Amino acid sequence: MKKESMEYQYDWNIWTIIHNASLAADGTRKEYEALLEYVPHFRDVLDIIIREGEPGIRLLKLLEEYLHSLTTAHAEGKKVAMTTFCMATPVLYAFDVVPLSLEPLSVLGTLVLKRGTAEFLDYCCELGFTETSCSAQRGALGAYLAGMGASPDFIVCDTPGVCDTNANSFAFASAWLDLPFYQLNHPQAVAGERSQRYHRQDFHNMIAFLEEHTGRKIDLERLRSVIREVKRQDEISCELSDLIQLRPSPVPSIYDLFLYGGKFMMGGTPQYTALLEAMLEKAKDNARKNISGTRSGKEKARALCCYVDHYTTDARLWEFFDEFEISHLGSLLFTFWQNGMPYARGREQEGYGVSDMDLDAMIDSLADQNSRMPMIKQIRGPYDAPHMWLDDTIGISQIVKPDFIIYIGTMGCRNTWSNIKLLQRDTERHGIPTLVLYCDAFDDRVASWEAVRERFSEFIHVRRIAS
Amino acid sequence: MIETFRQIASEIQNPYIEAWKAAGKPVIGFPCTFLPEEVIAAAGILPMRFRAVGISSLSIGDTYYGPVVCSFPKCILQLAGEGVYNFLDGVIITPGCDSMRRLDECWRKAGEDIAGITPGFFHYFGVPHKSTDYSLRWFVEELGILIESLEKHFGRAITDEAMRQNIRKYNTSRRLLQRLDQVRAAGTPISGEDALAIVLAGSAMPRDEYNRLLEALVAELEQLPSIQDGRKRLLLVGSLNDDLDFVRVIEECGAVVVGDAMCFGARSYHTLVAEDGDPVEALARHYLSRNLCPRMFGYYKDRLEFILKRVKDTRADGVVLQNIRFCDMHGSENGIFARDLAKAGIPNVRMEREYGPLVESGRIKMRVDAFIERLA
Repeated sequence: MKKESMEYQYDWNIWTIIHNASLAADGTRKEYEALLEYVPHFRDVLDIIIREGEPGIRLLKLLEEYLHSLTTAHAEGKKVAMTTFCMATPVLYAFDVVPLSLEPLSVLGTLVLKRGTAEFLDYCCELGFTETSCSAQRGALGAYLAGMGASPDFIVCDTPGVCDTNANSFAFASAWLDLPFYQLNHPQAVAGERSQRYHRQDFHNMIAFLEEHTGRKIDLERLRSVIREVKRQDEISCELSDLIQLRPSPVPSIYDLFLYGGKFMMGGTPQYTALLEAMLEKAKDNARKNISGTRSGKEKARALCCYVDHYTTDARLWEFFDEFEISHLGSLLFTFWQNGMPYARGREQEGYGVSDMDLDAMIDSLADQNSRMPMIKQIRGPYDAPHMWLDDTIGISQIVKPDFIIYIGTMGCRNTWSNIKLLQRDTERHGIPTLVLYCDAFDDRVASWEAVRERFSEFIHVRRIAS
Repeated sequence: MIETFRQIASEIQNPYIEAWKAAGKPVIGFPCTFLPEEVIAAAGILPMRFRAVGISSLSIGDTYYGPVVCSFPKCILQLAGEGVYNFLDGVIITPGCDSMRRLDECWRKAGEDIAGITPGFFHYFGVPHKSTDYSLRWFVEELGILIESLEKHFGRAITDEAMRQNIRKYNTSRRLLQRLDQVRAAGTPISGEDALAIVLAGSAMPRDEYNRLLEALVAELEQLPSIQDGRKRLLLVGSLNDDLDFVRVIEECGAVVVGDAMCFGARSYHTLVAEDGDPVEALARHYLSRNLCPRMFGYYKDRLEFILKRVKDTRADGVVLQNIRFCDMHGSENGIFARDLAKAGIPNVRMEREYGPLVESGRIKMRVDAFIERLA
């Protein structure tokens, strides 16, 4: 790795940028413009976020607080758990453990650092991690393997049985750094008594692991307060999802990123609730005015990402949507399957509810929530099995009615690359134009954003979308 | 006798399968060693582990699979699509890894386009990725579902006694292969290429005949002199390998492969299934406690320990850590093995390859040549 890349701690570096950015909202317009000079590689994405008003500011504050808690965790006497985006954070917060969530940290690095995460992606390979592994973890993992960030005390991941490439990143980190490792392993079906029993036993086992490695018993009252926060967050998320069904969709495209990004880092905390409340208020206001969430307020087309978004520098995917007046209706990462979600209605056995009745009920709730996290729910079984990827894509499409579907993934995603051609064929047969983008959401050396944009534009033109 | 094994190892169909089919008995294909073959055999069905020898195109594999996926399941799909596996009466897919488990959908969807390639019995067998009491229970239940499905589809009863009998038969194979390993370690009367052929043959022939041939061969080998002749002794570790040519190229560089830690190899026979007690429970315990494949996440130290023991037992001079491209689990773990073997003073080399026809023999030869020079 280049010497200059090692000059600052990865997470601290991002924190300082975000911290400066988050101060933007506290000053005048003139001060904001002056401040942009201090975040030269982040100013475009910052502007996209700040433009969103209160929700954007809430997001910046949330990011700042998350990164601050991560960089100061040990000084504050807290443990740090290296984990993955699809591991629901409430259980960690219930233990007062700070989640070091690799994928959100990769996204942040990709969005705000001058050279993205290329150095760190490559550093993993220098150590022996395969170059074909998933860039979503590798982006940040390289920094942590180099000791350039908060040092994790243990690892918890929940992707074995769902995404081996993801799980493998954490297994590698555990072996390389010699850290205690716990894996939540998911069976191939999400619903049914057998799967539920397995999810819950595995989750209870993880609680025992967390108790062992934090040296504390789970705190009932703390857990209850987290659970209540989750309940409120789920209610707001359901309202937002309801609003997306409107035509035009009053929900700004970038709320997709706000919703899952916030949840992956601070799900179960009051900061995330505040973010969601601000998002809901703005979306409701748009709905009252009958305008789209796009910058122009117009909606020429509606897009659904059937997997993840594209994160390389400057949030240009969302800019693209705004430019073409396309409403982004969400991605797979936008789906959490709370009972009450429009897509969970009539599919109750796939959804989950939250209970704060007693300790077991609360832990079981969290287990149910966790086993429905994005990707955990859909990718664990055959793509065309009940409750899996195809069911969800078609089911959600029938509700939000996209004009087209886009697949964006990473080159490391064996799972979805193994059957995206099959899914595409099926969605096209359902009459939904579907674009498979051969690119990497985290690494624009695989395909530059310009090349991706070109293909995107060509698809929209050829399929006469947004015309 | 070795020629019989080599012949079976070099083709998909073989005279034993033909005779089996001619007798009206079914054959079931499966991709991964986490499936207890004993259960299938107990139904009077021949279990056959998938291989893709003789592959010459990926036109069908690439139609259904995407671009950045391991070539092994793609090659199997290719042969299936070409009708090479049409003699199968059933297929069981296991989640060995992401690419492998997606063979389930890709094969079924290909079957919608190409008539006759999907057999009537097509089953998904879920294998947990950890060994705990509740994952064991899951495995036992999965076996129960499999047994019921086999019985229903093929109209054959799978009795506890038949399972016990097959456990004993497969254990006999395991003991013989362990003996073969001891012979290779002690006297090295056989090349690694031939040893691999012996293991591969076992994946595609009836157990009784295999044990009979193997017993005779091992007894014969125990009397033969060493073929080492000053060549360096190598241990082969990593992804699935059923390519005899790959081992031949390594050995032609002036080495002899004296052992392995692979699934077409020692990982599949180094322990025995308990022969007493409930057979389903015994099989579940055995198969789920095999942590030597990186699909079992979090057991790196067990795997390192196994390799270190194999190096010691086989008196290997060095280790070849190989993986099929896009096999991130073996590939990445090889990276850690490289570090830890070096720490233990064991020379090693990492090597990525494609599954299928050995089109990169020049590159492999060059790398092995350089490695052997290091060992000199």
